[in-house]
Amino acid sequence: MEAMVLQFGRLRCLIVDDNPGFSDTARRLLEQQGITVVGMVSTSADAVLAAADLQPDVILVDVELGEESGFDLAERLDDEAFPSAVILISTHAEQDLAEVISGSPAVGFVSKSELSSDAIRDLLRAGDGTEGKPVAPVSGPRGR
Amino acid sequence: MPARLISLLVRPTTPPLWLGIVVAATVIAVETVVVHQLNKVAPQNAFGAVFLLGVLVVSARWGFALSVMTTLVSAIVYVYFHLQVEGTLLPAKPGDWVAVVVFLPVALVANLMAGQARLRTAEAVLRRREAEASRDELAILAEHQAALRRVATLAARGVSPSEVFTAVAEELALWLHVVNAALLRYEGDGTGTLVAVRYEPGVTLLPVTGDRISTAGDDVGAIVLRTGRGARIDNHAHVGGTVATRIRAEGFGSIVGVPIVVDKRVWGAAIVGSRQTEPLPADTETRLGDFADLVATAIANAATRAELIASRARIVAAGDEARRRLERDLHDGAQQRLVSLGLEVRMAEASVPAEWVDVKEQLSAIASGLTGVSEDLRELSHGIHPAILSKGGLGSAVRTLARRSAVPVSLDVALDGRFTESVEVATYYVVAEALTNVAKHAHASEVDVSLGAADGTVHLVIGDDGVGGASSGAGSGLIGLQDRVEALGGHMQITSPPGHGTTLDITIPVDGG
Repeated sequence: MEAMVLQFGRLRCLIVDDNPGFSDTARRLLEQQGITVVGMVSTSADAVLAAADLQPDVILVDVELGEESGFDLAERLDDEAFPSAVILISTHAEQDLAEVISGSPAVGFVSKSELSSDAIRDLLRAGDGTEGKPVAPVSGPRGR
Repeated sequence: MPARLISLLVRPTTPPLWLGIVVAATVIAVETVVVHQLNKVAPQNAFGAVFLLGVLVVSARWGFALSVMTTLVSAIVYVYFHLQVEGTLLPAKPGDWVAVVVFLPVALVANLMAGQARLRTAEAVLRRREAEASRDELAILAEHQAALRRVATLAARGVSPSEVFTAVAEELALWLHVVNAALLRYEGDGTGTLVAVRYEPGVTLLPVTGDRISTAGDDVGAIVLRTGRGARIDNHAHVGGTVATRIRAEGFGSIVGVPIVVDKRVWGAAIVGSRQTEPLPADTETRLGDFADLVATAIANAATRAELIASRARIVAAGDEARRRLERDLHDGAQQRLVSLGLEVRMAEASVPAEWVDVKEQLSAIASGLTGVSEDLRELSHGIHPAILSKGGLGSAVRTLARRSAVPVSLDVALDGRFTESVEVATYYVVAEALTNVAKHAHASEVDVSLGAADGTVHLVIGDDGVGGASSGAGSGLIGLQDRVEALGGHMQITSPPGHGTTLDITIPVDGG
C-alpha cells in the first residue's frame, strides 16, 4: 500500500454497501467527523468504476454485498492496483471473520457499530507502518 | 438267512413259462423216482408229501396258473403211481383217500400263500422305489429353499440391489442347474440394462453386465416386457430381433423368463437359458418366479431406503434454509437499523454542546446499549457466514467455530483441498451443532475436535470430558445431529459412558456431494 495519509488533512472516502440506510447514516457521521464521502455505491462493478473515477484515499467495503462478497471486491481492487486503502466493514463480529480478513489484501476491519473517523485513521496509520502488509485488524476506539 | 432265501425265491419278476413247465416236469419226475425208491424201503407209508415240495418250488417262482397245474399233475401222478403199486384204480384203504384228499388242499393253499408272498414282495419293492424318488425330490426342494433363503437374507440385510442381483444370477445358475442366467432392468425407452448376468464358459457373443440391449424384438426379454407375464421360447430358429439373432448365434436352445414386478410395475425380468437340446423343465417358470419375487423385494427395499434418506435430507435442508433466511433477514433488517441508530446517537452526542454533560452521558449510554443489542442479535444467529466458508474453506470455518465455542476447543484440522459446497456446508453445520450440544448438555471443561479426510470420506471426531451418558434419545440434541449426518449418507457413532465424557465419531462420504 502506497497511500500517504495526512494526519490532519481531510480524507476522501468511498462507501460500498448494499444497505442504503446504513450508507446514509455512515456518510453523515463521517462528514461530521472530518472525512469527505465522495461516493456511495452498492455493487462491486460500481465500486471498481467509482474507485477509478474518484480516486478516494480509503474505500469502505461491506463484507456482504447482496449476493457478492466484499472479500472478492477487496482482492479485485487490489488487483487493479488502485492507490486507495480498502477497509472491510460488517455487522458480523470481527472474530468470526478473522481467518478471512488476515488473508485479505484489505488494510483491516472495522465493525459497523464502531465506525468513526478515528477508527479509520488508526487503521491507515497501522497499515502504513508495515509497508503494505495488512496488520492484524485493530478496532478503533469508541467514536468520539 | 431265511429272509434272504425267501427274497431269492420270491422275486417279483416271473421267469419264462417254458422254463416253468420244464422245471415242473423235471421236479415231478424226480419226485416220482424218489417215492418209488422210498416205497421199496417203507411200503406202508404215503409219501404224497414229497410231491408238495415240487408244488412249492413252482409256486415260489411262477404264476398261480402254473402252480395249480403242477398241483393237479402231481396229484394225478401220485394216484397213478399208487394205482401201479396197489393195483386198483382208486385208493382202497381209507388212509390212501386221506392222503389224496389232504394233499390237494394243502398244495392249493401252498400255491396261494406263495402267490401272496410274491405279491407282497412286489409291492414292497415298488414302495421302496417310490420312497427313493420322494427322497430325491425332497433333496431338490431343500436345495431350492436354501437358495431362496440365501437370497432373502441378502435382501433383508439391505445390501445394494446390484449385489442381490449378482447373488441371484449365481443361485439361479447353480440351483436350476442352468448355467446361463440374467437379470434385465427395463429402461422405458425401448432398451433394457443387464444388471447381472452369468454365462457358462464358451459363451462369448452375448452382452455382459451393464450392457444395454433392445427390447423391441421377439425374444423372451421383449415378450415379458410387452405381456407382463412369464415367457418361454424353446426354439429360436424363427424369432425376430437383434437379441434373438445373437441368441441363435450362440447356440441357445430353450430360454425362459419371468417378470420382476415392483410397485405393480414390470421393473424387469429374470431370464435363464440352456444350450442343451432338451427344453428346460416345465416347472422352471414357477421356480424362477420365486427368485423374481425376492429380487422385487430387494429393489423395493432399496428404493424405500433411498427415499427415506432423501426425505431426511430434505427435512434437514428445509430447516437450514429457514434458519438462513431468518438470519439473513435479521442481518439485512434489524441489525443494520440498530447499527445505524447507534451511529445516529453518536452523531447526536457529538453535536450536543459540551456543557450538556448529562445528556452526553445518556446518549453515550444509549449508543452502547444499541451496540449491545446488536451483539446479542449476532450471538443468536449461529449461522454460517457465506464469506468465510466460500473464501476460507471448511478449515477456516471450523477454526472460527472453535474460537466462538463457550467450551474451550483443542482443534486438529488436517484437510488438504476443498470439497463441494454442500459437503463443506454440511460438515460445518455438524461441527456447529455438536459444539452447541457440548455447551448445552455436557458440562465439559474441554472439547477435542479433529477433522480430516481420506478415502473419499470426511472423518470428524468430537470428544468432551463432560458428564457422558448421552444417547440419541429425544431431547439430547444428538438425535438432530444423527439425522443430519445420516441424511448425508454418513454414520455417527456415539460413545458416552456415564461420568466419562462423550465422543462422537462421524464419517461423511464426499462423493456425489
